[in-house]
Amino acid sequence: MSKRVLVVEDQEDNRQILRDLLANVGYEMIEAKDGQEALIAARTQSPDLILMDIQLPILDGYEATRRIKAQSDLRHIPIIVVTSYALSGDEEKARAAGCDAYVAKPFSARKLLETINRYLT
Amino acid sequence: MNLEADSTSFLAQRPLAAISRANGDGASVKDGLVRVVLRPSLRTKLLAAFLVIEMLLVSVGVIGLLSLREAGQQTNQVVALQQKIEAYRQVQHDTLRQLYGVSAALALPNETTLAGALRQINQFGYDLDRVSFVAKDEVALLNQVREEYARFIAVVSHIVDLIRNGRAAEAKQSELAELGPLADKLERLTNQLVNRAEADMVAGIDASRQTYARSQILVGAVALAGFVLTLVLGHAISRSVIDPVRIIHNGLNRIAAGDFAQRIEVPNRDELGELAAHVNSACDELQQLYQSLEEASRHKSQFLANMSHELRTPLNAVLGFSELMLDGIYGDPPEKMRSAVERIQRNGRHLLGLINDVLDLSKIEAGQLRLSLADYSVEELVSGVYTSVESLAAEKSLGLRIAVPPGLPPARGDERRLAQALFNLVGNAIKFTDAGEVRIGVEAKGDSYKFSVQDTGPGIDEADQAKIFQEFQQLDNSITKTKGGAGLGLAIVKRIVEMHGGRIWIESRLGHGATFSFLVPARLEQQATRT
Repeated sequence: MSKRVLVVEDQEDNRQILRDLLANVGYEMIEAKDGQEALIAARTQSPDLILMDIQLPILDGYEATRRIKAQSDLRHIPIIVVTSYALSGDEEKARAAGCDAYVAKPFSARKLLETINRYLT
Repeated sequence: MNLEADSTSFLAQRPLAAISRANGDGASVKDGLVRVVLRPSLRTKLLAAFLVIEMLLVSVGVIGLLSLREAGQQTNQVVALQQKIEAYRQVQHDTLRQLYGVSAALALPNETTLAGALRQINQFGYDLDRVSFVAKDEVALLNQVREEYARFIAVVSHIVDLIRNGRAAEAKQSELAELGPLADKLERLTNQLVNRAEADMVAGIDASRQTYARSQILVGAVALAGFVLTLVLGHAISRSVIDPVRIIHNGLNRIAAGDFAQRIEVPNRDELGELAAHVNSACDELQQLYQSLEEASRHKSQFLANMSHELRTPLNAVLGFSELMLDGIYGDPPEKMRSAVERIQRNGRHLLGLINDVLDLSKIEAGQLRLSLADYSVEELVSGVYTSVESLAAEKSLGLRIAVPPGLPPARGDERRLAQALFNLVGNAIKFTDAGEVRIGVEAKGDSYKFSVQDTGPGIDEADQAKIFQEFQQLDNSITKTKGGAGLGLAIVKRIVEMHGGRIWIESRLGHGATFSFLVPARLEQQATRT
């Protein structure tokens, strides 16, 4: 059974990139467009890994990460946060929110896959 | 003294009333006189002080003149007394000579001696007139003298008549019985006058001596009082000027240092009080201006942050898709397409770099970038930078070496930003060097670490070295024009180093490569404030 990756991302173009990337290596991708959807998807779709963007409508990536990590039955799901920019200070906030790893945009597809694979194999 | 109650205040309507009340209790102004001189204007104060001093000078003069006049009067009195005494002596002398004249006429009765005796009577009359002229105040005694004189003259005339009529024995008898006692009486009276005049003279000299001593003390006392008063007035007025000037001076220094919230409080209600009030209102305006500037700067930073995010979002998609194309996810691209997509990638990354630099610099300028201080390993920092640039160096066939002494103690600072600084320097070195090598070195220098990046590039003219750390400054020569870049990299490096309390410098000669070095504290516990 293929691994399921929950991608939380509000930009359609970025979702398409990840769709193409993940499909190519055989991961199943489920999608959420904002933090609220991410919370629901994390509970109902039981993903193996969450890729979380920071700047999201309704509920931002920090808060969504914090809430998922606050639930004991979801805490085990690794969350990789995609920070908008290396020097912006997002990194500290992401770590504080409890993420397992982070990648900075623009991420290299290869490096992102490496990080994902670290948690899924 | 309550300053509030005084309606004659020169600047009563000024909003300084509260200030005066605050200081009027004597907390800061101990000297009551100083407090009094705080109210009138400076011009009034100075005029009043000069007037007081002028009045003191005039009064010293007047007292001197009065004393001189008194001394003159006393001298005149003494002279008059001497004249009196002399006149009295003359009268005594006349009495004696009259007696001699009569005796001579008795002893040798002829016309010559008789005429002499009679002439003497006239002389006696003149001298007596003189006495009554110089001694008008001795009325009682002088009247007695006149009476005795009249009797004396009558006796002398009678004796002369007796001698003329040949009655010498009777004349002799009359001389002995009447003239002698009368002369004695006259002498007693005139002696009495002389004694009184002499007593008056002694008293006069005494009084004159006292007057002299008194005026000496008076002039001395007034001069001393003037001296003291001048000192006190001068002190009070100068304090009423110097103290507020000092307060305003300190206030201006604080304003210059950026403290716009403070108020300059001086107790004066004169021109200086007005000045302080003006400085305060200017300070208020500055504060408002400063706040609106700060707000504008915040808006600018916010705008730049938003804009860079908006620019980056589509750019990330461009970079993402082109990378997937190059990775063959959509099938292996034909060679020509691969080359075109590689160009899209390269230019996209360059554009992203520029956007990020602008964002970094604007954040640093707005003071929004805080260092996150943590322990880090210098060796790991350098090797991280090495890893991210080795492919760039390899592309240009440049040597890339690192020289980090082993066993450096852990440093403390913002590792990521220091890595960014070093990355920018190494990236520049690789960009501008066409052949040779780039060396990255670290040295421990006391409490600091010195990072240096040495290249074998074209080098930088000494005249241009000062300019390169300013934003948007690229050296205007053909080499830099072909290399591109916005000229923000070194400006960002400089800011990062300065935020660590360090400094950056360059050593270079045209045609002999360049060495960029920066020195940062080995263990930074607190972010340096901007100067």
